[in-house]
Amino acid sequence: MTMAIPSIACLGVIGRNNNPMHISIFPSQDPITNNFAPIRTPLQFSLILSSTIDVFELRTRHNAISGGGLSGEYGLLQAVDDRLAAYGFETNTGVRFVCVVDMRGRLVDSAAASSKQGLRDAELKPVFRAMQNAYVRLLQNPFYNPDEHAPLGGNGGKKITSKKFVDDMKRIGDGWTPGVVKL
Amino acid sequence: MDGYPLGSLDHNVPYLLVSGLTTSNSELPLQENLKYERKILLKSKLPAAEGADAKALAKYFQLVDEQGKSWAAVGSKTPYRFRIKSVGRTIPLPPRQARLPERTETLESHHILHSPFSPLSSVSSLYPDGLIDAQWVKKHQELVPSVLLCFYTLTTDPTTTTLRDNELKNDIGELKAILAKSGYKTRLAVALIAEPDSTASSLATGLQDRLENIRRGATLDPKSLFYIPPQDSDSELRGVVDSVLTTLYGSAVEYYRDLARHSRKKRSRGIAPPPTVPPTTGTSRTLSIPDWNLRYDFKSGVFAEFRQEYDAAVRFYEQAYGTLLGQDVLDVIPSWSPRWNEARLLSDVISIRCLRVHFWMGMTSLAVKRWQAHRDNIRDFVDRRGHGTANYGWQAWEARWAMVMADLIERIQIPGLTNPSPSVFLPPDRSMMAERISPWEHLHHRGYWYRIAARHLDFRRRLAHSIPDDDRVPPEDPTVKEKFGYDTYLCPKPYEEHPLRGHGVNHSQLIIDCLIKAQTQFQSRNQTRTAAEISIECAKEMASTGSWQDVLSALRPLWEESSFRSGGWVNIAEDFAWLLRRAAVDEGEGDLVVAIDWELMHKTNSGYTQRPNWHYDLSKSLEETTCSSKPEVRISDDQVEAPIVAGWAFMGKESRAGETCVAQLSLKSEAFSNAAPLTFKSLKIEFDGALKPIVLEHLPSEEKSEGKVSLNALTLEEVFDAESGDLPTMLRGHTDLTLAPGNTLVVEMVIALREAGEVTSSTLQLNYSAESFDLSYTMDLGDLRNPAGWYTKGHNAPRYIRAESHMLHVQPRPPKLEIKYLNSSSQYYVSEPIKLRVQLVNGEDESVSAKLDAHLFGKVVPAFTLKANGEEQKVESAEEEARLTEFPIGDLASSSSLDVILTIDPAEEPTSYDLHLRASYHLDSDAATPITQMLPLQLTVVNAFESNYDLNPRLHPDPWPSLFDCDTISSSPDISEDTPTPFKGLSQSWCLMCHFASFALHDLKIVGMELKVLSNLKNARCEIVKQAETPSNGILVAPKTMHEARFDLVTQKVSLDDRHPVPLELGFVIQWQRQVTDDGDDDDDGAAGPINTTTMYAGNYLVLGSEPRVLASASEIDMGKAMRLLLLDITIENPSNHFLTFGLNVEPSDEFAFSGAKQTTVHLLPLSRKALTYRLLPLVRGDFIRPGILVRDKYFQKTLRIIPTEGMKIDKEGLLIWITPMEGEGEEGKEAVEVEDDDDKSGDSEE
Repeated sequence: MTMAIPSIACLGVIGRNNNPMHISIFPSQDPITNNFAPIRTPLQFSLILSSTIDVFELRTRHNAISGGGLSGEYGLLQAVDDRLAAYGFETNTGVRFVCVVDMRGRLVDSAAASSKQGLRDAELKPVFRAMQNAYVRLLQNPFYNPDEHAPLGGNGGKKITSKKFVDDMKRIGDGWTPGVVKL
Repeated sequence: MDGYPLGSLDHNVPYLLVSGLTTSNSELPLQENLKYERKILLKSKLPAAEGADAKALAKYFQLVDEQGKSWAAVGSKTPYRFRIKSVGRTIPLPPRQARLPERTETLESHHILHSPFSPLSSVSSLYPDGLIDAQWVKKHQELVPSVLLCFYTLTTDPTTTTLRDNELKNDIGELKAILAKSGYKTRLAVALIAEPDSTASSLATGLQDRLENIRRGATLDPKSLFYIPPQDSDSELRGVVDSVLTTLYGSAVEYYRDLARHSRKKRSRGIAPPPTVPPTTGTSRTLSIPDWNLRYDFKSGVFAEFRQEYDAAVRFYEQAYGTLLGQDVLDVIPSWSPRWNEARLLSDVISIRCLRVHFWMGMTSLAVKRWQAHRDNIRDFVDRRGHGTANYGWQAWEARWAMVMADLIERIQIPGLTNPSPSVFLPPDRSMMAERISPWEHLHHRGYWYRIAARHLDFRRRLAHSIPDDDRVPPEDPTVKEKFGYDTYLCPKPYEEHPLRGHGVNHSQLIIDCLIKAQTQFQSRNQTRTAAEISIECAKEMASTGSWQDVLSALRPLWEESSFRSGGWVNIAEDFAWLLRRAAVDEGEGDLVVAIDWELMHKTNSGYTQRPNWHYDLSKSLEETTCSSKPEVRISDDQVEAPIVAGWAFMGKESRAGETCVAQLSLKSEAFSNAAPLTFKSLKIEFDGALKPIVLEHLPSEEKSEGKVSLNALTLEEVFDAESGDLPTMLRGHTDLTLAPGNTLVVEMVIALREAGEVTSSTLQLNYSAESFDLSYTMDLGDLRNPAGWYTKGHNAPRYIRAESHMLHVQPRPPKLEIKYLNSSSQYYVSEPIKLRVQLVNGEDESVSAKLDAHLFGKVVPAFTLKANGEEQKVESAEEEARLTEFPIGDLASSSSLDVILTIDPAEEPTSYDLHLRASYHLDSDAATPITQMLPLQLTVVNAFESNYDLNPRLHPDPWPSLFDCDTISSSPDISEDTPTPFKGLSQSWCLMCHFASFALHDLKIVGMELKVLSNLKNARCEIVKQAETPSNGILVAPKTMHEARFDLVTQKVSLDDRHPVPLELGFVIQWQRQVTDDGDDDDDGAAGPINTTTMYAGNYLVLGSEPRVLASASEIDMGKAMRLLLLDITIENPSNHFLTFGLNVEPSDEFAFSGAKQTTVHLLPLSRKALTYRLLPLVRGDFIRPGILVRDKYFQKTLRIIPTEGMKIDKEGLLIWITPMEGEGEEGKEAVEVEDDDDKSGDSEE
């Protein structure tokens, strides 16, 4: 008997200008055929990421009214349906990390898996920590110009092309399962 | 939530039947099969209550009824909730027991009759094996009241009081009896209202007694009789009624508790009651014990809901649900049976009721969990026992199930998710707080649920479309058993869902409805991107039905807003752009088609993907579109991105008005490589600042550049307008404006600048003209972040020139009035008046009025005059600085000139001046703008001559006065003041040797030389006896040559008694003129300039001292025969008042023979002189001889220096006398004397 556990379906980095800077898509396991395939098309993932900006903005506005936190630690942004959920984290420079979790993305032996259902916000923290570390490493690269990727007062921006960063994202997306503490 | 039987999901609140407030009688809303059953009728003979109060009450009861229908969660503080129905005096109640079926033999008397709503009665639709249906719920909610509230009028007429009261008593008693007989446990309550025209006083008498009397008479308990006195206002009336209802609520709750108790009692019996008549058709199956348990549990749950006891309700519902989905109920029903769907419906109803209760209790996460659990359970069941989940029926139910949740959220008005609330989802409820919950278990707002429903509807359509054709035809014989294998639970049969002929279910409409609902939700929460996303989905749905107008209206705002594109979500933008284009083509929106085509040609780095087999030719854009008129498309870069990157760069940072500058426009195509080349008709570049727009027009050229970059250079012509005046309205040029994909077109332009100021390129307008449309695209040219580079021929990449290459600073027009300095040199000499000739040349295009300022700086500034136009102004000399301001020049016509002469008075010593000439003028056309031109000049004034001087003594020929001759020594006392002083003192003769050289740069001509005595002599005089001679045509002095001038002078003191030496200051005056003057106005170049007089200080000398001196003088005597005798006179002068004795000694020499005293002593009286003559016969010729003569003062034992006069010289060893050579020999020797003379005497000033 197998049971489904969450896995990462998509990792996105959204720039200050609400522009997509990076999107990585990860396959989910099909419970019937056991094949790995992304459960949505890249376009649909783009749409999901773009819709999270709404939630980021709502929270920011809410924080501004209530005098809440400046940034960061948003946790669950929205569940798209009962399978996909988007978690987010905003850095204090306005860069947003979004992690779309497929709640049934992996199949494991139910004996091996803990019978715990659901997912806590805290379980996504290692993901965001790892993403931020990767991003900080990217920023430390003298050839990476953050202003190109989100021009001040402008629109859009370039995407991240650093292979190291892309590899980092892949490592994070593949490596995470609930309960992983360090990526 | 439509589709579920009416009443099955109603919110159950106690049912109150009000009688006697209206006269109308209504039928019982019974099901068809029960219509003909015996009904129970309660009748009362008394008239209905009338009056304003009665009407107000009826109205209020309606209001309470409405509130009772609401699903909104209410707090426990609400005193009562009722569903109230008002009937007349006839009160119908549903049959308590069903009749026996007619054909049943009546012989068997043991038939037990059951309620017509029970599956045991054959009249029921549930008979024989149905579980439970909405009819039962309806029975309790709408047919059988918990409380029957009868209104009567209490009469106030004292005469009929007793009679009426008795009537009342009887009536109530009858009602009560009938009710008791009916078997319903409905509570009876009576409310009395006063007669409409009663007064408070009339009522007051014995009222309490009467009420008590009536109550007793009708055997009512005290809580069931109410008296409603007349009230002043509606609100007071309502207050009274509220209290009545609150009391009744308690008994109603009791009523439902009794029913629930009864139900539980039956459950606990543990037997399945047999039906009245055993079933004879079908499977003959009857309900088993678990089925009955399910019924009882469900009933208990509903009764708990009636009582608003949520915990109990959930408990019973869950129990019923567990039984239903357990092994014994749903599992044993065959899926082909209609009972299967009924059971599924029941499971849905129970689940919905559960969800509702959860929501009421605020268990939002639990509700979602319950929602998911039900879906999973049913899926499991359908997969296992039903038709599987891979058909449209299942998807239809999934969609329905999601919609149920959305509807629940809406109807219950869950706090935190109502519309103005900003939250997207609710935090986990308190029951789940500590648990790990999945993200979806945070209850999201309705929009999300609608979206899920829409997605399932989409799946449903897909599955419906895959129904094989055979199943899409309705069966010809309706009696033939329908095909199984389709899940038709709450959805149409396959031939209705997607019929082969005709229209089936309009899936698209369903989806669109769903999406629009979702979009409203997202929009109201400012989730604009999500709303936009749904709009796209919606539009795709509309496109599938071909309603392009709707697609257009849905997508056009998104396109125009372009938040996806500007944010860089290019794939999203691209996705709907093609869709929009298709819609625009269909709707004939030519401008939109062109705009989209224009944008979609653009391949950004990770942007639009190339559509295979697409022409990418802008000119073909409107081939398929039919437009009413030729579209003129005007778009700009804030609406639509261009497949072109434009750049503008000025080559230099600065320029001047009136000059030209070079600039480049670069257009880089970012179109797909297979796109057709774009040929613009024209383009227009606009500027901020002082530059008119540039218009480039297309001029086809034959040459095709091979490289990626084609560079065209051109000069722009200025286009003038009648109104524009002097300035051009625009600049125009012609070049080839064809841009192939991937190439760069660079146009290099030479622009004439006319105005001063900052110029910034602002916009570029590209005009494209095709047969079917005109496109004009405006884009920004002043992008600060990406300065345009400079293209050079042969290089494909631009070169960075500077950060703000799109800006140019045009400096004001330079002054064109020139100040020319006409003099050839700026070297001037002391004592010379400086005459500067300056010319003002008007280089402006028009006449100007000018003024001239002259500033002269120096240590000492002499006076100067400025002369022009016959006017003259003089400035006095000053220290440091002298200025002449605003010398009027007047009008100067264009390209005319004016000479100005500045004359500076002679300087007395070498110096240098700085001269600033500043012409300030203005154009006649523009008097407000002053223009200034300045000419700085440095003038150096040097000495034209340098000289040195030597004053040599000579022997004065006149005899000295003798002390023994009084005439010569004493001045006559009678000399008056007026007569010139007779000079009686000693005279001395001197010769000033003056060696001078010209330090000028040019030849100078000396026209005169003069020696002047500068000092004011007292008691002495000095006479220049012989000036140096100057030839009549002067001496031409070349630069750097030495010249000599000699002056003889005689000095004499006034008195012999005067012993003091006389200081003598001498000045050497040269009068000279320039050979060539700078004066350009003189026609003859060779004319000499004015004669200048330079006085040079020739030194200060002491003469006529009182020391004795020895003068040697020689003269030759020609003796003939080539013999020359030299007479050497040694003259010793004693100007002192002492008697002096000198010893004279002559040494013999090889060089000459001499006669005279070889050794002698000379005595000199005071003021006397004596000469000793030697005759020398030189033995050498053409050489110096050195007569060794020694003169010694005998007294002081001091050797006196012998002072040479003409033809002699002296060195350290003594006197030297030149012996002239004989004729024919030694000419050089003579010259040598002079040279050596020079050397010796000018030794200290030799330069």
